[in-house]
Amino acid sequence: MQVSEIISWLINLLFYKPEVFCPIFYPGLVTILALLIFIIWLERKIAAKVQLRYGPLYVTRKAGGILQLLADLLRYMFQEPIIPKTVDKIAFIAGPVLLFATAYVPAALLPATAEFTGLRSELSLLAVLALLTLAPIFDIIIGWGSNNKFSLIGSMREGYIVMSYEIPMFLSTLAIAMVYGSLNIVEIVEMQSRCWGILLNPIAAATFLLVALISTARFPFEIAEAETEIVMGPYTEYSGILYGLLMGASYVKFYVLSMLFALLFLGGWHPSITWLEKIHPAAPGLVVFIKALIIMVFGIFLRAVYPRFRVDQAIRVGWHLLFMLSMLSIAYSLAVIWLVG
Amino acid sequence: MELPKRVVHHIEALLTGAKYLVAKPRMTVMYPEEAQILPEGYRGMPKFNREKCRSCSLCARICPANAIKMYTVEVEGEKKKKYPGINYNRCIFCGFCVDICPAGALEFTDIHDYASYSLEDLVFKPDRFAEGPPPRPFKPKLVKPMLDEEVGLKYVPG
Ligand code: SF4
Ligand code: SF4
Repeated sequence: MQVSEIISWLINLLFYKPEVFCPIFYPGLVTILALLIFIIWLERKIAAKVQLRYGPLYVTRKAGGILQLLADLLRYMFQEPIIPKTVDKIAFIAGPVLLFATAYVPAALLPATAEFTGLRSELSLLAVLALLTLAPIFDIIIGWGSNNKFSLIGSMREGYIVMSYEIPMFLSTLAIAMVYGSLNIVEIVEMQSRCWGILLNPIAAATFLLVALISTARFPFEIAEAETEIVMGPYTEYSGILYGLLMGASYVKFYVLSMLFALLFLGGWHPSITWLEKIHPAAPGLVVFIKALIIMVFGIFLRAVYPRFRVDQAIRVGWHLLFMLSMLSIAYSLAVIWLVG
Repeated sequence: MELPKRVVHHIEALLTGAKYLVAKPRMTVMYPEEAQILPEGYRGMPKFNREKCRSCSLCARICPANAIKMYTVEVEGEKKKKYPGINYNRCIFCGFCVDICPAGALEFTDIHDYASYSLEDLVFKPDRFAEGPPPRPFKPKLVKPMLDEEVGLKYVPG
């Protein structure tokens, strides 16, 4: 009797307690790992198709090479992570781990559905935003700790770019929060059951989408890494699993921002599919995931189309375009509130 | 008036990408299952013919990559002679050795993709140099490149 009780208690804890389920399964770690394998494969496939190539193919050939990234991951696991003599060892080793962790933590706070959410707070949006700003610090720390000119140049570029996108990111999210008069993600989504946020404030939506692209180094803003100019930017000295973590981190962040975009602007889990709830309380959250996936596919498609901006051009986009747009979005929100009330 | 024009350009770029995503065929040769038919005079891995060689060492001297070395070989019933051997690790397939050989003892093969598990294995002493690099262990489907107005290059079975 004892054993079965323990097992049922464990199952209940793992699968039916949102405080545990959300960080671990959905929208947390397990979803992220599965998504990483899929989305990086898809990115390579799309870029290949546009350039008249095939992309990854030989790992599970019948399925178009979909397990290529799993193979890469295994390789990263068993490859020797080389730690050069001249680096700052603590920063060098802890940097990637913390970068990945800080990119992932905001995902744990995102709600799966209205009832099923890891963090119940009036300020959950603020918490997610605050955690999102942590990751770039580690980009700069590893660039500094690597003791390599390419790493340093890369992380300085990252620093400049962070400066130019973070303010528009906050302003555009706050603009949409203003319209709904709430900083609670669940509340904001619930209020979108009639009208999506993207219709209420399209300027904020456009700004947020562009910021998401810039902050996760999607093309044309892949400036800090810039393979053709500075080897791999801040990640130049890395190899093995540490490099794997670094490479994954920007995709994780992109996932979090896409989820946030789906929640804030695309109506979240509305239209809600109620029969899914019978399978699992978090299952209706799939709607959010699909919306986020569409955003992500758009983001990775850009790699096939765009060249890379120079760092000054990206900063100009940040300050001249995004900053102005985010101010406009605040004004737009005020106008909406004033007109509709 | 700058901004709307730029937005239009961005949309055009995205549409072009989308067009290529769905419509056009691919250009890839599925090497090694498929391989291109090589043109005549293709500069593959050079091969050596001992009967014709005069041991003049010109090939070793001209080689810009220092791939060819002269080895002393004992031939039965004759005195020791020097013959060239090649290190395919170093060869850059420039063809100087073939051109300069006064006896026509060196020639190109059409093999360019012999691979090996060790670096030493790619050093061919005169006797192995005379056999040349081993041919492919399987027969690939042969294709030939054709110019195509739409795609640029197309590979048709030949
Ligand atoms: S082809 Fe050129 S590089 Fe190769 S062995 Fe002959 S001379 Fe040397
Ligand atoms: S292969 Fe030709 S160039 Fe080289 S030693 Fe023999 S005769 Fe001379």
